[in-house]
Amino acid sequence: MNAIELHDIHRTFETTTGTIRRHRKDVVALDGLSLAVPEGELFGLLGPNGAGKTTTIKILTTLLIPTSGTATVRGYDVVREAKQIRKRIGFVFGGERGLYYRLSGADNLRYFAELYGVAPREIGPRVVELLALVGLTDRADERVEGYSRGMKQRLHLARTLLHRPEILFLDEPTIGLDPIGARELRKIVTDLHANGTTIVLTTHYLFEADAMCQRIGVIDHGHLVALGTPSELKANVTDLGVVELEVFGVEAADIERLRGLEFVDSIVVEQRDLRQLVRVQTRLAEQAVAPLLAALGGAQVGRVAVREATLEDAYVRLVGRVE
Amino acid sequence: MIGALRVARAAAELQFKEVAVSGFLLFGALVQPFFIGVMTMYMLRHRPDFDPVYVVVGAALSGLWSVLLFAGSSAISHERSLGTLELVVAAPTSFFVVYGGKIAGTLAFSLVSVVFSYAIGAWLFGYPITVADPVGFGLSLLFALVALWATGMLFAPLGILWRTVGRFLGLLEYPIYSLSGFLFPILLLPVWTIPVSYALPPYWAALALHASASGELDLLGLARVWAVLVLTAVVLMIIASRLFLAVLQRARRSGSLALS
Repeated sequence: MNAIELHDIHRTFETTTGTIRRHRKDVVALDGLSLAVPEGELFGLLGPNGAGKTTTIKILTTLLIPTSGTATVRGYDVVREAKQIRKRIGFVFGGERGLYYRLSGADNLRYFAELYGVAPREIGPRVVELLALVGLTDRADERVEGYSRGMKQRLHLARTLLHRPEILFLDEPTIGLDPIGARELRKIVTDLHANGTTIVLTTHYLFEADAMCQRIGVIDHGHLVALGTPSELKANVTDLGVVELEVFGVEAADIERLRGLEFVDSIVVEQRDLRQLVRVQTRLAEQAVAPLLAALGGAQVGRVAVREATLEDAYVRLVGRVE
Repeated sequence: MIGALRVARAAAELQFKEVAVSGFLLFGALVQPFFIGVMTMYMLRHRPDFDPVYVVVGAALSGLWSVLLFAGSSAISHERSLGTLELVVAAPTSFFVVYGGKIAGTLAFSLVSVVFSYAIGAWLFGYPITVADPVGFGLSLLFALVALWATGMLFAPLGILWRTVGRFLGLLEYPIYSLSGFLFPILLLPVWTIPVSYALPPYWAALALHASASGELDLLGLARVWAVLVLTAVVLMIIASRLFLAVLQRARRSGSLALS
């Protein structure tokens, strides 16, 4: 049985431009998205900013109504049967917001436990159990305003688990966390999945999706552009190698020259302080290094590395850009 | 039903804790009634018809109304700014119940104005602050709180519809003081404002409290005012509950819950 089904979902938002003479404009967030997630799956939803990931999550968590199309969660319609869905799901939106800062972590959990209908007798033990699960027992009675970002993220996760949801929606849950905090949070999520919870995860960290998700859907411009296991998605780029060039002061014209080379599939440039990391997907791998360096002309080149294509490279090939 | 009451109580406790540590609302509940009470007593104390109880009740009402107006009208924008509005709306509990609890918590906190205003009159000025009809006054306070609670329930749907509504509602603070007769009878106002006063629940709340404190209305007269308060509360609650459903559905369509 599918825990989640989306059929031809469209969602547009109305925006306005201008101060005195206002012009209305429709922005398409989802453009015919169809998708199914079986029960018990840890499903990854990837896509660039503005692709429609958060809109999808908000529709499935009953916070938004689709403009057209149907969506169900455990068989319940997101528009007409929102209350049934709300009892069965939990969600975390990335970032620090979503907590009462003047209350302690434990008070936050007790309040949300009441809101989510946890039985009165169960609230105390459940709060203690979840604070232990996310490693906040020692700080439980401190005001949330003094928590670090990682602690707030873990408290969010505890909050969403209070009523033992069957399906969890995690929208960039590790965003902004330090590596250790992110690793701890990933461990909790994979343990929850191992215990049978269906999880839909959106992330910009492709290694995270690769390591955690059983299947991944890539959406761009509001519709699904790829769907499969991480291995299946990576199989799309087995013909590619990646040359990474660390350069200083490379010009846009240099990049365009590289892009024009016959053996170059795609190029991504990341600014890293004063350096730029130019990642070139190519069918030639090692043999491409010399012509690439020649094409860069006078640019100062630091490190050069050649590696196999990863999920991130498959993603770049699909959406044509990275954030 | 028990579940809803538990949620309302939890929301009331949360709101009480939140407003009790807000400097702005403490100002509204304590400092403002202090100034209003003290200044009015100084201005009126030499008049032969001076009634210190009237001033104490009026000062208490000013604090009560200020806290309700500011805490109630900003409750939605506060939740939005914290990022908790979506979490509360997406809970399997009725948002009407949650917000009802919050307004109840706000009013519970605002009662500190009543105690403080009594203290100003009795201890600072040394007036004998005694109410003519203690039972009637207690019931008047109860019905006044019910009507003010229902008034506060209208603020949330407005706050969901228009994100800046709190700032505009804040402008109603002093006009409502005057039109409701908190510190002076509305008969002193122009005739055309009297129908406006009659349409305001705070006017009936002030009338019930002043009349039971001074004993100027008998039981039948008081009962009529209480009936108006209850009727007003019922009408406002019905309007608010309909508005809640409509604006939440509208917010789900427009995607405006998370916008701050």
